[in-house]
Amino acid sequence: MMARLIGRTRIGTAELIAFGFVLFNLLFWLYPSLWLAFLSMSDWRFFGTPSFSGLKNFLYVLNDMEFWTALRNVWRFMLFYIPISLIASLAFAMGLRHVGRGKAFIVLCFLLAYISSGVSYSLVFSKVFSSSGPLNTFLQQQFGFTIPWLTTPSLALFSVSLVITWKFVGYYGLILYSGLNAIPKEIYDAAKLDNSGPWRTLFRVTLPMMNAHLVTVTVLAITVAFAIFTEPYVMTGGGPMNSTTMPQLVMYETAFQRLQPGHAAMMAIITALISYVAIQIFRKLFERQVDIV
Amino acid sequence: MIVLPRVVHAVVAAVTMLLLAACSGREPAGVGAGEKVVRLWVAPNPAEERFWTRAVGRWNQQHLGTRVEFTTIPATGGSEEAILTALVSGSGPDISANIFPGFAAQLANLGQLQDIEAMPGFARMVEKRQLAPMLESLRMAGHQYLLPLYFSPNLIWWRTDILAGLGIKKIPRTFEDVYEVSRRRAERGAGMTMQVLTGREWRSRWYDYVSYYFAGSGGAPYIKDRRAQYESQASLEALNFIRTMFQNGWTGLDFDADDPLPKGLVVGASHGAWDLSDYQMNHPETLRYIAIGPMLRSARAEQESGGDRAHTFADCKGMVLFKSSKVQVEALAFMAWVASDDELSLLWFQETGMPPARGDLMSNRLFADFYRKNPLAAQYTAYVDVGQPSIPLEETIDVNKLMNVLMIEPILFNGKPVEQAAAEASRSTNRLLERTR
Repeated sequence: MMARLIGRTRIGTAELIAFGFVLFNLLFWLYPSLWLAFLSMSDWRFFGTPSFSGLKNFLYVLNDMEFWTALRNVWRFMLFYIPISLIASLAFAMGLRHVGRGKAFIVLCFLLAYISSGVSYSLVFSKVFSSSGPLNTFLQQQFGFTIPWLTTPSLALFSVSLVITWKFVGYYGLILYSGLNAIPKEIYDAAKLDNSGPWRTLFRVTLPMMNAHLVTVTVLAITVAFAIFTEPYVMTGGGPMNSTTMPQLVMYETAFQRLQPGHAAMMAIITALISYVAIQIFRKLFERQVDIV
Repeated sequence: MIVLPRVVHAVVAAVTMLLLAACSGREPAGVGAGEKVVRLWVAPNPAEERFWTRAVGRWNQQHLGTRVEFTTIPATGGSEEAILTALVSGSGPDISANIFPGFAAQLANLGQLQDIEAMPGFARMVEKRQLAPMLESLRMAGHQYLLPLYFSPNLIWWRTDILAGLGIKKIPRTFEDVYEVSRRRAERGAGMTMQVLTGREWRSRWYDYVSYYFAGSGGAPYIKDRRAQYESQASLEALNFIRTMFQNGWTGLDFDADDPLPKGLVVGASHGAWDLSDYQMNHPETLRYIAIGPMLRSARAEQESGGDRAHTFADCKGMVLFKSSKVQVEALAFMAWVASDDELSLLWFQETGMPPARGDLMSNRLFADFYRKNPLAAQYTAYVDVGQPSIPLEETIDVNKLMNVLMIEPILFNGKPVEQAAAEASRSTNRLLERTR
C-alpha cells in the first residue's frame, strides 16, 4: 500500500524520512532563530505588536556592564574548566583501558552524572560546599581550617567548574577513550624501540595522535562554558560580586524578570557569535590533520 | 517535481492539529461549553491550596456568583514566568494570587492589570479591614492594582536556651545587644551568633538590609521619589552592623547545609510567619525555645523611638485582575467576597499561618481564640501595622541587585568604607531609576 502510494506520487523513502527531520528543524530551529533575529531588533515587552528599533538593543547591550562581566566570567571559567576537565577525562580514559572486569559498570557510574538533573546535583553540591557542610566540617576536624568554596569571589567560579567537570568527565572520557583505542599498537612499539619514556610517549605520541578527539572535547567544553545556567543559578545565584554571573543567567533575568526580551535576544546573538569565533580560533590554532600511514 | 503523498498530508495535518490544540487555551474540566467561569491561579503550596479549596468550594456550593475554577500556578522557574507566558499565549487566568508588589508594578506598566477600585463595595471593605495604610503603600501611579492577601512581618527568632547559657535573659533588640551576645559567645569559642544576611537571591535583601533599614528609619521608604536613601543614618547603621558582624566572624554567608537555628549554629535568625508551621512539623523541640524579637536597629534609633515597636519589612502578596479577562465584573465580585468575608480571613490565618492583610487583627475578637492557641502567630500579628511592603517598583530586581553588588558585597569582600559603598550604590540606583522614569 505504502509502496504503491509512494510510487504513484513519485517520492522516495529517503525524502519521506527526511521530511520529519526537516519539519522538526523548521519548527524548532529555523522558526525560533528567525524570531530571535527579529526580536533582537525590535522594541517589544511581551504584549502588543513588536516595533522595529534598529540598533537600540545593540547599544543597550553594549552598555550593559553585567552582560560583559558575564562574558568575562566565561573566559575565567574556561581557564579553570578546560584544563581540569581535559586532565580528568584523559585520566578517566587511560584508567579505563586498564580495567578488566566491570568496565561497563564504571562507565555507567560516570555517565550517571551526565544524565542527572542539574537542579538536583547543584543543590547537593551547594550543601557539600557550604561553610557548615560535610566537606568543610571534615577540613575543620582534620586540618583546623575551612575553605569558603562558594562565598568568595575568587573561589566561587572554580567551585562551579569542579561541579561541571564532575558532570562531564564521563562523557568526555568516553570520547577520549575511543581516541586512545584508535592508536595502533605498532606506534607504541616503535616508540619503545626508540627508548621513549612514558611522558615523552604521552606528549609525542598519544596526545598528538588523539588530536581530533581532544579538539572535539575542547570544542564541547567551550560550548558548555557559554551555555551553563543551572549550576551557577542554583549554587551561587551569580554571586558573590557577580563572579559567577554567566551570559545565560543575564539573558534569563533580562527576558523574564526585567521583561526585556529584545535585549535578551540581542545578548543571545552576541554570545552565539563570540562562542562561534572562539571555537574557530581554537580550531585554527590546535586542530591538526593526523594521518596514520 | 516532488508531490507530497497523502500520508504526508495526513501527518502534517495531524501535527498541525496537535500543535494548535496544545497552544490553545482550554476551559477547566467540568465546565460546559458557553458557561461562564472565573479562572483563578493560586500559589503552588499545600497550605494556600487548602485555603483556596475551601474558599472556592464555599463560593461555588452556595452559588454566590459566577462559578470559580482554581488551579495552582504551573510549576516552572517561578510564578512570574508562568503567569507571563500564559498571558502572552492568551491562556492566562482571570485572577491570580501570589503576586508581589514589584511584579504587579511590571504588569501594571505593561497595561495588563485592572484597577480594583471598581470592585463592588471597595470603600466599605477597605474601611472594615482597616486596609487604607497598607493599600496606600501599594498604590501605583494613583491606581490600586494589588489586593493584598497577607502581610507577614519579618522578625528575629532567638534561641532562648542558648541565650540563657550565655547569661542573657533579655532578647536582643539592638545591634549593640547582638554585639554583646556575640562577644560572650566568642569568649566560649561557640561560633557564630546570627544569620545576618539571609541568602544570595536579590529577594533576600528584603529580609536583611531592608528590614534593618526600616527598623532604624521608622519605616521610611528606602527609595523615595525614585531616589535611593542608602546614605541616610539608618542605612549606614545597618551597613555598619552587617560589616561588624562579618569582620568579627560573628556571622557567615552561607548556611545551605542546614537551617542554622535548630542546629544551634547561630542564636538568632530572621524568619517569617510561614516558618512557624515548618518548625512545628520538623523542629518542634527547637520551637519550644524560640522567642520572637523585633527587627534589630541601632541603640540610637531604639532610644529615639522611645521603645516603640520597630518597623520591619513585611512580605506581602496579593491578588490581581487581568485586563484580558472577559469576566471582569464576575471576577471582581469574587475578589470582593474574598476580601470582605471575615471568616475567610480567619481561615487564611489558620491554614497558612500568615497574617491576613488587615489592620484590625489585634482588635477583632474573631481572631482571639486563634491567638490563644497560637501565641507565636499572635506575636507576628502585633507587627503587621508596622510592617512595610517592598516599594512597588518595576525595577525592583535591579534595585535589589545593585544593593547587593555595589553596597553590601564590596563592604564584605573589598573592605570598602560603608559611606563610600552607600554613595556609589545610591548614585547607580538613582541613575537607573532616572533612565527608566
